[in-house]
Amino acid sequence: MINYFIRRILIIIPTFLGVTFIVFTITRFAPGGPVEMAILRYRQMQMEGGGGAMGSHGTAISEEMVEKLKKIYGFDKPFYISYLIWLGNVVRFDLGESYTYSKPVWDVIKARFPISLRFGVAGFLLAYLVCIPLGVLKAVKHGSTFDFTSSALVFIGYAIPGWVAGIVLLVLLGGGSFLDIFPLGGIHSMDYETLSLFGKFWDNIYHMILPVFCYTLGSFASLTILMKNSLIENLGKDYVRTAFAKGLSEKTVIFKHTLRNSLIPIATGLGSVFSIVISGALLIEKVFNIHGFGLLGYNSILDRDYPVMLGILVFSSILYMLGNIFSDFLYCVIDPRIRLD
Amino acid sequence: MGKKQRKELLKVENLKTHFVIEEQKAKAVDGLDFYVFEGEFFGIVGESGSGKSVTALSILRLIPDPPGKISSGKIFFGDKDLLGLSWEDMRKIRGNEISMIFQEPMTSLNPVFTVGVQIMEPLIIHRDMDKREARAEAIKMLKKVGIPSPELRVDDYPHQFSGGMRQRAMIAMALCCNPSLLIADEPTTALDVTVQAQILELMTEIKNKRKESAIILITHDLAVIAETCDRVMVMYCGKIQEVASTVDLFENPLHPYTKGLMASIPSLAKKKKRLTTIPGNVPGILHFPPGCPFHTRCKYKMPVCEKVVPELLKVEKDHLVRCHLYNGEGKNR
Repeated sequence: MINYFIRRILIIIPTFLGVTFIVFTITRFAPGGPVEMAILRYRQMQMEGGGGAMGSHGTAISEEMVEKLKKIYGFDKPFYISYLIWLGNVVRFDLGESYTYSKPVWDVIKARFPISLRFGVAGFLLAYLVCIPLGVLKAVKHGSTFDFTSSALVFIGYAIPGWVAGIVLLVLLGGGSFLDIFPLGGIHSMDYETLSLFGKFWDNIYHMILPVFCYTLGSFASLTILMKNSLIENLGKDYVRTAFAKGLSEKTVIFKHTLRNSLIPIATGLGSVFSIVISGALLIEKVFNIHGFGLLGYNSILDRDYPVMLGILVFSSILYMLGNIFSDFLYCVIDPRIRLD
Repeated sequence: MGKKQRKELLKVENLKTHFVIEEQKAKAVDGLDFYVFEGEFFGIVGESGSGKSVTALSILRLIPDPPGKISSGKIFFGDKDLLGLSWEDMRKIRGNEISMIFQEPMTSLNPVFTVGVQIMEPLIIHRDMDKREARAEAIKMLKKVGIPSPELRVDDYPHQFSGGMRQRAMIAMALCCNPSLLIADEPTTALDVTVQAQILELMTEIKNKRKESAIILITHDLAVIAETCDRVMVMYCGKIQEVASTVDLFENPLHPYTKGLMASIPSLAKKKKRLTTIPGNVPGILHFPPGCPFHTRCKYKMPVCEKVVPELLKVEKDHLVRCHLYNGEGKNR
């Protein structure tokens, strides 16, 4: 068993190399790379700067200059050499410097962690705290009005994209045309610094409610229905009848005997808890004006800010793989029949 | 067995358990009357779908509702009418005074709890034991049912047990509160023949040690009945067809269905190429025929059998049969 996990952890290395190598290579050959961007910027500068210099020779950039730019962005060497250099730096915990922010990539990424954590953890907790009890209740009251109504609600939630819900909620509750209950966006009020400790705490929550709701909306359906079906399936098992025949109360049968078995499929999803640190959803962040990982990743691609992009990739791939191993581990903990070797 | 005045432990009167399937009523158990004496080894035999298991589950009120429902009848256990008890009072009887063993030892134990924990549960709820006492008792029970090195195996999960061992663990679990009635629903059907013999031996042994308590053994296998039971009830289509002491039933089977079942037991003595079978199948639960339900397969069929449901007749003392052949004048074949 321990061997299995050691092996799994070791497999992270080749997988990581493969993932980063592929993405790195793509960045090298994708059109509109940083060198071309720099040339473009240079031309624009020239065009705006000297009207008189707008001759046929003015837009030309010397070969020498292009070479220089290539050198700055590390495009002067073959891609595999560049990859090795990049990798060597990564191993030494140096992710390079962002082209757009002119700051170390680590600093850029680090600044987004608190935001991702705050929304990730809140969304994660909300999803599990709502869906597991809701699924259990739906299973126990299978076929009732409550069951149908809640199913309808979670599926409507599933069908509506989070950002659409965000826009609708902002229109309705964000002080636009209707009610003014929630802020329009951001993560703090303007007067945040002047608030008391409790006031600050509340201010944070206050700004999180709508985005977290939108962020989680889509996951309610799958998790709730998974929980419900899993529990119903288990309630029909023979061991449940045995448990009743022993004289256990319905509560013990459901919450001790059946729930533990029904949580097995749910537990596999818990591995994603690792990825919370870099979680983000671009469109929801856009709607609520939050500067999280979704926006950062998107912009880094648009701006051809490859160091940032690769930096995020380093984190997401490692966390994702660790998450999978963690899922397997949880699987073993919760289900004694699983033996991995 | 004792010819003295024996006390009835369980008395079932006109029990009807119905299921609603596709908006139709399926009469799984249709008017049962029987009793089980204290300390008796009572057998219920019949093909699949004859209502044996539903009878057992009805006694413990474990019929899944919906679709099932005990629609009428009384089940007296001692002087209590089980069907009239509150859910809470019924709970106190289950696993304590009446316990049950099921057919599939593979799936009847919860896979995520250790065998020990599962045996300890009834002890903790019914006997107010704390965990340590219950654990010690569980180990003792495992030892009683013949699990080797029980102090180690108590912490095993069910999947670490073989089929026979699991059934032993089920028996340990069922017996740990010393119930006065044990219902065993096809306890050996899912097991290898050799293991079957061991489990039956264990049950007989337990029976002999616990004189006052009764066992109801449900099976489709008359050979199993012959080896273990004092008295037998033959069921077909939710109704009793014949009740007699085991000796009587084997020496003098009356109902054509019983005779058919007897003839179907393979025998080494008779040299036959093919197994004898009862022609036809058990009618589907929604399509029980009118009149005597067995008339569709019976070689003694008379016109009356198709129309009139025969009464359960007392042919001899303690020998009852439901068949038109024995109507009126008593015994004529």
